[in-house]
Parts: sequence; structure tokens; C-alpha cells
Amino acid sequence: MRAQFVLSETWIGLRRNLTMTIAVITTVAISLALFGAGLLVNQQVSEMRNYWDQRITLTIYMCTDISPTATCQENGEATEEDRTQLVETLDGLNEVEEYRYLTAAEAWQDFQERIGSSNEALAGAAQEGDIPDNYRVQLTNPDHYDTVRAAVDGAPGVDTVSDDQRVLEQFFSLLDGLKWAALVVALVQLAAAALLIGNTIRLSAYSRRRETGIMRLVGASNFYIQLPFLLEGAIAGFIGGLIASGFIVATRYTLLTRIEDWFQFDVALGAGALLYVIGVSMILGVLLCTITSFLTLRRYLKV
Amino acid sequence: MIHFDNVTKVYPTQKRPALDGVSIDVDKGEFVFLVGPSGSGKSTFLRLVLKEEKPDKGRVHVAGKDLARLSNWKVPHLRRRIGCVFQDFRLLPNKNVFENVAFALEVIGKPRRFIRKVVPEVVELVGLEGKAGRMPGELSGGEQQRVAIARAFVNRPQILLADEPTGNIDPATSIGIMKVLDRINRTGTTVVMATHDAAIVDSMRKRVIELEEGLVVRDQTRGVYGQAY
Repeated sequence: MRAQFVLSETWIGLRRNLTMTIAVITTVAISLALFGAGLLVNQQVSEMRNYWDQRITLTIYMCTDISPTATCQENGEATEEDRTQLVETLDGLNEVEEYRYLTAAEAWQDFQERIGSSNEALAGAAQEGDIPDNYRVQLTNPDHYDTVRAAVDGAPGVDTVSDDQRVLEQFFSLLDGLKWAALVVALVQLAAAALLIGNTIRLSAYSRRRETGIMRLVGASNFYIQLPFLLEGAIAGFIGGLIASGFIVATRYTLLTRIEDWFQFDVALGAGALLYVIGVSMILGVLLCTITSFLTLRRYLKV
Repeated sequence: MIHFDNVTKVYPTQKRPALDGVSIDVDKGEFVFLVGPSGSGKSTFLRLVLKEEKPDKGRVHVAGKDLARLSNWKVPHLRRRIGCVFQDFRLLPNKNVFENVAFALEVIGKPRRFIRKVVPEVVELVGLEGKAGRMPGELSGGEQQRVAIARAFVNRPQILLADEPTGNIDPATSIGIMKVLDRINRTGTTVVMATHDAAIVDSMRKRVIELEEGLVVRDQTRGVYGQAY
């Protein structure tokens, strides 16, 4: 009896303010989609950071007879002595976890393996010897990048020290910017959604003031009087959340998949992360709508 | 049943108190007319009984409860013991007679079986047998007020408050309404009726409390509307 009554009142409310209900659902859907996209990007970035933090290496390229940089031009090809000295430096640094020496032939082989499948033209154009022999240095902590870099940069026989970190940081800050933009727009949209919900519930309360007035008089409990309105808000929020979930899934499989494709490594967000983002967005939507409805009712539905 | 002890109520927008140190006792099963010109404090009295307003001074007891000590979430339970009838009927136009009366029970969570049993009884008590399926728009003013009374009484309240129930009804029909209220009073329900209708007050010969500018100026056990009228 109770449930049936409350649900039918809720349904009447939703139908009577159909245009407003649609406006609420649309706004909630857009804001939650943006919010969810922001969260997704955030998750993706932190996951990528993790991935790179574990793998980030410093690559020290040695001078060859064709190196164009000034230091190499001056001193010529790196000698065995230079290499020995560099190895001693690396051995003396606490920040270095381990390092590996690749001859020019090994470096070319490695390059072919990594790039060959995705960019045959580039792989084909590169010849053995184009990539100098180098040291791959694994750091104990990616924060020590600059220390190690400073220690080996400019040492005799050293051509360049790779800038993985800096390139990645630029990329991450771009993604971070994207995330914040999405979250700020989402916030503005959520505020607009809250105002719309407030108005809708106020209209709803006004159009049913006769019923609620009688309910009050005959001693219906406050909760019972307010429940249909709260459910109205919650349902609008829930439907908005469902639509937003569609957008979030779409974002995951278009935008983020593309971002992942730019990298050679597999850093895909799992289904768990996606469900987490959808769950948070849905809960936020329903809570926002219900709480706004509740606050509106306190003002417009005197008990 | 209703006990006002030196009650004063001042509305924020007005200087003169709506009720000024009023003390009234209404016993269980009494029938009381509340008379006086507009603005004399009749409606304020009824609103204080329902705890729609709080007194600025003094104490209000209803059905043995001190309303000042009654927490807000218990107010609905107080109102379940009080029925209310108004000049403008306040029926739901999109529900028929049965549904209007049943509404009062539905919203306090009474089971459907109970509603099916008691609503027809009350509809018959107010003299609307055979009209349970009619919409309010198809009924006369007197009949609509009977529906309102049925709704107020269906939960068997201890107190029935009526705020000018005959205000929108012609004198001949009003007599029928008064008979219904009298019948309800005879079941043991306390009835308090605010009215301007001198003919009705004079014919009923019940207790009359007259208010003027927020003061009780007369309280007679078998009174008439007023000597001066």
C-alpha cells in the first residue's frame, strides 16, 4: 500500500513536469559525463605515471665519429678509456639501481624490435650504426633523474643524455590540463544541475500543494510527505547517471584507447577502474539530486 | 481535551496580539462554538491546537500532551487525533468521494483492507451513501462539505476542528451539515467550531466562547451567538 502510493505519486510528479524533468536529466547527464571523463583521465594518468616511474631509464649515448654535437666534434669518438671512466662514475652513484651497456649493433636490434612493427618506414630507414652505443641506466627512484643526469652529462665521450622524463612530463601535464578543464566544466554544470533540480522540485511541490496540505493535516509523517519528491529527484539523477555512464564508456573506448595507442606499452585501464568511475558518478548524481530536493523541500514544503 | 493556559500569540507583522492571555478548557465530548468578528483570534486558536503555530506565552495542552514539549517529528501523530474541516472543503478534484476519504488513511499507512472496510461506513455516516463514486465537481457545496467531514472523521479523531464549515453553504443545507457534526459529537468526539453563523449557534444551544481582539469576552454553557445581534 505504502510503496504503491509513494511510487504513483512520484510517477505523477515526474510526468507532470516532463519538460523540467528532461532538462534535469540532460544537465545531470552532461555534468556527470564530464566529471566521469575527468576521473577517467586522472586514473589513466596516475596509472601511466606508475608504469613509467618503474621503467624510466636514463639513456647515455656515446660519441661516434658522425656525432654532430660540439663535445663529440671536439674530442672525437668515445674511447675505451671514456667508457671505463663513465662506468666508474655510474658505479659510484647511489641513485643508480643498475645499468646495461648496449653496443651499436644491440641498440639497432632493440630499436628494430620496438619500432619495427608500428613504423616500418622509420625502421627500414635506420641503419646499424645510426644509433650510437649507449648505457641504459635504471634509477632507484625517478626523482633522482636530475642528479644522475648532471653527473654524467658532459663527461668525456658522452654525446647526449636522453630526456624521457621531460617528454613524458609535458605529455602528463597536457593530460592533467585536460582533466582539470573537464572537472571545472563538470563543476559548473553540476551547480547548474542543482539549481534546475531545486526549481523542478519547487514546481512539483507547488503543483501538489493541495495534496501535501491535506497530508499534513491528517497527520502523514514528514518523511512520507517528502518521499515522493525525494524519489523524483533521485530518479532524475539516476537516469542522468545512466546516460552519463554511456558517455563514460564511450570516452574510455575512444579517447583513452587512442592515448594508449600512442604509447608502445600496454597501459589500458581495467574494467575495475571503469566501474569505479561509473559508480562514483552515479552515486554523485543521485546524492546531488536527492540532497538538493531535500533542501528545496525544507524551504517550500512547510511541515 | 483542549487546555489553554494564559496563552498569548503575537504574529511578527502585527502589533496587537492575535490571542492575549487566553485561558480556555474544553472537556472530552464537548461541543463548543467559537464566535467573534474576523481577526478576533478564532483561527489562531485552531492553529495553536494543531501546533501549526507556537504560542509566545502560556501553555497549550491537547489530548493530554503539552504541545511545547512535543517534538516536531511527533506533531503528525498529534494531528492524527485531530480532524479538520474548512470553509473551502479542500477536496482533491481528481479523486472521487471514496478516494478523497481513503486518501487520509492511505497517507498514514493504513492497510488497504482496513480502508475498504471503514471508508464506506463513514461515507454513510455523513449521509452520502450511493455517492462514493462521484467526483467533487459533481457534488453540491453541502455534499462536498460532507465529504470533507468524512475525511476528517474517518480516522476516528478525538477532536474535530471546524473553521466556518457552513461559510460557503446556504442556510438550509447548513442545517444538514450541523446534524452531521452533532452526530459525530455524539460518538464522543470533541467538536470545536469557529463560525459567524448566528442562526446555527442559536439553534444548537451549545457552549459558546466569544473572542474579541484576542480576549475571551464570553463563555456560556448553553449560549446564543450574541445578545447584541
